[in-house]
Amino acid sequence: MVESKTQESPQTDTLTELKLEGLWKVVVLNDPVNLMSYVVMVFKKVLGFDETKARRHMLEVHEQGRSVVWTGLREKAEAYAFTLQQWHLTAILEPDETH
Amino acid sequence: MKRIEVKLSLPVVAPLLDVIKEAAVGLETALAAPPALRDLEAEFRTVWEGELLEAQNEDVRALLALFDAQFFAEGVVAFDADNAETVVRACAAVRLRLRARHLGGLTEEVLETGETELAKLPEPVRKAFMCYLFLATLQELIIQHLESSIIES
Repeated sequence: MVESKTQESPQTDTLTELKLEGLWKVVVLNDPVNLMSYVVMVFKKVLGFDETKARRHMLEVHEQGRSVVWTGLREKAEAYAFTLQQWHLTAILEPDETH
Repeated sequence: MKRIEVKLSLPVVAPLLDVIKEAAVGLETALAAPPALRDLEAEFRTVWEGELLEAQNEDVRALLALFDAQFFAEGVVAFDADNAETVVRACAAVRLRLRARHLGGLTEEVLETGETELAKLPEPVRKAFMCYLFLATLQELIIQHLESSIIES
């Protein structure tokens, strides 16, 4: 039993690592409540977008229902998603399967 | 740093404070926009949501603090570098809460444009919708007129 447990733990770790490794997309979903100007401001503040890029992503969210606002490693993607959620935007993480 | 004082109509805004306070109570224990992060481990998700809730409550307290003795005496609320961001966020939280609790019957178009015949709405919905519009006005005011000077990046 002890030996079995010793083997299980690394396998679980490996699975977790496989699941979380690679690139992740931070996706912002549309909602009818938050103002366009608010979303633009949040994109500029949280993601460092300039006005043009922030407006482009805001319009993408508004017209297409979603916009990928950042892609990269999981840890940083989580940080962006958390901060966007602090601003009450609907932000989700998706694996980037194009890489 | 720039401080902006806004004169509000007491007879119009004061009755809406009950709506804001009711939403604030609900937001003490529930996130305005619950995160959809299915692949997070349960323990991590609990921490994640707890920190979001803590931040949300701090923001809502800042919004409620606007309506202090000066507001009830003169109808004036003030924004500066210390409260602008938190008030803008709190307005978003309360608006989302109002939608979830009172405005579910309104279409997305009405929620986005703010255009509907108020007189035709049932009283609780009408009051909630007026509050929803008022908070949007506060947000616009802060974003449009104060962003460059008091919202630091």
